[in-house]
Amino acid sequence: MRRELLARLLAEIAANRPAVVVTTLATGESRLVDPFAPAPGEDPAVAAAARDAASRDESTKLETPAGTLFLHVHNPQVRVVIVGAVHIAQPLVRMVRLAGYEPVVVDPRRAFATEARFEGVTLVREWPDEALARLGLGRRTAVVTMTHDPKIDDPALAAALRSEAFYVGALGSKKTQAARRERLARLGFPEADLARIHGPVGLPIGARSTGEIAVSILAQLVAALRAPAPAERKQA
Amino acid sequence: MTSDALYHEALLRLARDAAGAARLEAPDASAARDNPLCGDDVTFDVRVRGGRVLAVGYRVRGCVLCQAASAVLAGVAAGRDRAELARARAAVAALLGASGPVPGPPWEELAVFLPVRAVPSRHACVLLPFDALGDALARAAG
Repeated sequence: MRRELLARLLAEIAANRPAVVVTTLATGESRLVDPFAPAPGEDPAVAAAARDAASRDESTKLETPAGTLFLHVHNPQVRVVIVGAVHIAQPLVRMVRLAGYEPVVVDPRRAFATEARFEGVTLVREWPDEALARLGLGRRTAVVTMTHDPKIDDPALAAALRSEAFYVGALGSKKTQAARRERLARLGFPEADLARIHGPVGLPIGARSTGEIAVSILAQLVAALRAPAPAERKQA
Repeated sequence: MTSDALYHEALLRLARDAAGAARLEAPDASAARDNPLCGDDVTFDVRVRGGRVLAVGYRVRGCVLCQAASAVLAGVAAGRDRAELARARAAVAALLGASGPVPGPPWEELAVFLPVRAVPSRHACVLLPFDALGDALARAAG
């Protein structure tokens, strides 16, 4: 790989943007493609394949009339934004790390969002509307709300629904979910958006302890990340 | 006390005003205060002349009470000096503590907080904006 290409790739990685390095196997020539915003002159087959590979998080080969190409996917690390520095968040952040993702805890309540309770975790002691805008929610971000306080959870869910976050989850009983759906609907979110919210959050495995609940949430999150694209699902 | 009784219409209207609050461009001083347990967070900007408030701006996040108190304070702050504001803060604390009467003009709007008397855990929410503005004025003077 030429130095200039490497420098550009490193810049994309540093900026948390996805990138696909497209290499012509016969010649070794490489170029950089933005899988979700390819250059206007880009080969449509390559652009489509790059987008598909990045969405599936899977590097792949592409046969073209000009020869075989290798598409190497460089995706940003998955980030899990947890709103609420609460008990369940404590095992959850450790499990998120073990799964290879980056946890971020957002909670404006200084008494909850302490280093002692969340050692070594990025803690954002701000209100979610400002915090999530600054963090930037993208395709590789998951958002889970856990405070049970609508003042804090609702703005976080609104921000998540306005983004392309791959997973949006909300802690709370069926009754609180219904009330929440109504409040968000009044803010103008259509049914299709509200259906994105996993609530009550977590796979229904009968989880009881905070650790078990954290497992159920993380499992549901991974399933959402690895779910086949809608087009593939229709074929299957 | 039910939340309906606590959050009566006048308070909710004031809280909505607070949502549209603006900061000041080039203030003389700013100060922020927060409540670590509930997350109420208010920042006041102030411009002063001759020891009196010329203009305020603010930004508040948090409960209806904190938002409403910020709106009331911002509405009356212009023209006041540090001593008047300190007296107003004391009057609110007294009103909430069941010993004080409703303050006279221009602070009579603070009567909206009378229902909060019955809920001591929420008194700090009402006082937070007063403390933030007090800090900002102290900084402007210092």
